[in-house]
Amino acid sequence: MNRNLQRRLAVGSNATAVTVLVVAAVVVVYLLVDRFRIRLDLSADQGSVLAADTVNKLGLLDRDGQPVTVTAFSAQRGKKESYFKDRQLQDLLEEMDYNSAIVETRFIDFDKERLTAEKLGVTDYGTVVVQRGDRRVDLQDRDLFRRSGKGDDRKIEFLGEAGINRAFSQLMSDSRRVVYALVGHGELDVEGHDPNGLSELAAALDQENYDLKKLDFVRDRDQVAPRVPDDAAAILIARPRVAIPALEEDLILGYLATGGSVLVAVEPGSYVPSLLGRLGVVVPDGIVLDKLLVFPYPDRPVPRYKSHPITKDLSDEMLVTVVSRAAPVQASVPPKEGVRASTLLETSRDGWIDRGGALDSGAARFEADIDGAGPAAMALALELGPESGLVKRGGARVVVLGDADAIANGLLAEGPGNASFAINTFRWLLGDEGRLSVVGRPSMVRRLALSAEDLGKVRWLVLSIGPLLAVLLGAGVWSSRRGQ
Amino acid sequence: MRAIWTLWKKEMRIYFVSPLAYVFLSAFLFLAGLFFYLGVTLTGEASLRVLLGNLAITQLFVLPMLTMRHFAEERRLGTLELLMTAPVSLGAIVLGKWLASLTLCLLMFLGTLVFPAVLAYYGDPDWGVVFTSYLGLVGVAAAFCAAGLFASSLTDDQVAAGLVGIVLLLPFWLVGRAEALLPEEWADTVRPLSVLVHLDSFNRGVLDSADIFYFVAFTAVFLFLTFRSLESRRWR
Repeated sequence: MNRNLQRRLAVGSNATAVTVLVVAAVVVVYLLVDRFRIRLDLSADQGSVLAADTVNKLGLLDRDGQPVTVTAFSAQRGKKESYFKDRQLQDLLEEMDYNSAIVETRFIDFDKERLTAEKLGVTDYGTVVVQRGDRRVDLQDRDLFRRSGKGDDRKIEFLGEAGINRAFSQLMSDSRRVVYALVGHGELDVEGHDPNGLSELAAALDQENYDLKKLDFVRDRDQVAPRVPDDAAAILIARPRVAIPALEEDLILGYLATGGSVLVAVEPGSYVPSLLGRLGVVVPDGIVLDKLLVFPYPDRPVPRYKSHPITKDLSDEMLVTVVSRAAPVQASVPPKEGVRASTLLETSRDGWIDRGGALDSGAARFEADIDGAGPAAMALALELGPESGLVKRGGARVVVLGDADAIANGLLAEGPGNASFAINTFRWLLGDEGRLSVVGRPSMVRRLALSAEDLGKVRWLVLSIGPLLAVLLGAGVWSSRRGQ
Repeated sequence: MRAIWTLWKKEMRIYFVSPLAYVFLSAFLFLAGLFFYLGVTLTGEASLRVLLGNLAITQLFVLPMLTMRHFAEERRLGTLELLMTAPVSLGAIVLGKWLASLTLCLLMFLGTLVFPAVLAYYGDPDWGVVFTSYLGLVGVAAAFCAAGLFASSLTDDQVAAGLVGIVLLLPFWLVGRAEALLPEEWADTVRPLSVLVHLDSFNRGVLDSADIFYFVAFTAVFLFLTFRSLESRRWR
């Protein structure tokens, strides 16, 4: 072998080895980066990344280890919105795939893979089948998309994440738990769809596998003597207008004594159940105000989250829970023995309990002579131990909320953190701490308002002007160079 | 840096005094306009997703054509030897030519900014998604230009260089499409190679470190291979 060939071989093999090493190093770094990904969602509705609640639930499924399959079938081709529907579902499945080791997702073209549809017994376009073991939950188009408005104002929202989330809950839970809402004293209507109703809360609880039922001690004829049903996982007392008879309050206290859970939501001026006094909670007169307000409302202070499992994720995600004309709630001084009270929502140091005066003339400001100094609490979480004398065994949990509106339809939809706050409150009350997180919001299609005439203009603009300009520019350069 | 700048200027001059840049610009803008119009009429959404997804694939065929002449032409004309013996580092030559190709791509993308303007006039686009989608498009352009440059460094025939570039890039597109046909364990292995998979997050408004690294690494590896390919001329 001549020296030149030897040299070329040596340099060549060296160059090849270095090249292979560099490529291998890049692959190794990629695998590391892939393992420890950092993601930033810049979309306006943050809809591209799963809500913390879904991620949390996927984590629970992963820990459980039983395989879960989500099979989504495409929408009917050619139908309006089919592109949006398919894309939303595909994006969601991709994110679920990314966030879970145990959940397997498949997007099936309904027209091309009829056999798969037949095997699963699916007959409708756009169906999503969530399977875990021998159990399954089917979601139809109406569970995944919500339409509103007519004509040009017609809107479609994608609720798929919440729907599949609900399916996970149903598959994970052996039975549904029941939250009873006390009625008969002018409370917020559980079935009401108006801004003061609780239908949205009921829907959100339904996703968690919790049923919201009415508890009517007076009219319930199935019971010989009024009593709290045995299947009550929690009781909701949502802004009673008139006094709750002592007998009924005693029944609720009796329920608490057995380790029950109660959410009491009041409003300024509403009836304050006397059982709160027994629990060491005081609801002073006045409304809670703050210099820091939700624009443009003069009576909506921006609550601060205090450290508690209910508020932790909300605080981390910086989601605001909106309250409107909240009543102050305070733990009695000295605190009641055996009751551990934690503040959930509180004003800033600049907040106060307003008792009229300047507010009446339209300007909210603190007046030391009549108002109560802040910070003012708007929600408390209580844990009752046997030392309180109220609980016979174990412990009981109570949440007192100074603004019932915060969990009603109006603010539940409006406040970025209200749904999560409400659901987390129930999760904590029911001892489902493992599920505490932030609830996702629907994503909406962004429609173009284009008439046929507009479409003509757009066609002309995008297909002609740009290419024509480039051609003219080229022709100009060419002719000028010919001139030279 | 100065050498890179000088080479960049030279390459840009070549692009713009010849009809090449204008032909590419007008063809690209026409195709982009077509994709945009189809996207708008089919979906009725204030979104560039259909357009940008298709443009990424268009680049797979367009960019090797744009970069094919860089080294192949220099070799055919015999100016590559001159360039390589000039007091300019090989790295600067590769970077100068790659930056020039990328600049032309950016100019082409600049022409498509009329589309988000149209969306803003008739609707309310998600600007975060528009921004990340364009970022993904630039990532694809950077990666494909580097691959095209590498193809150009392998041969002195421009057409062959263009074809080699397309053949080189095609698998990175096809693995994304063929994924469904492969057995699951294979699909999981080849999935990270797919350009489409990495572009998808950008088109949804998500910046993912793994996707960003993929395009940076893709570009860096092909630029490195181009460097090696040219360097091999010194000892072959």
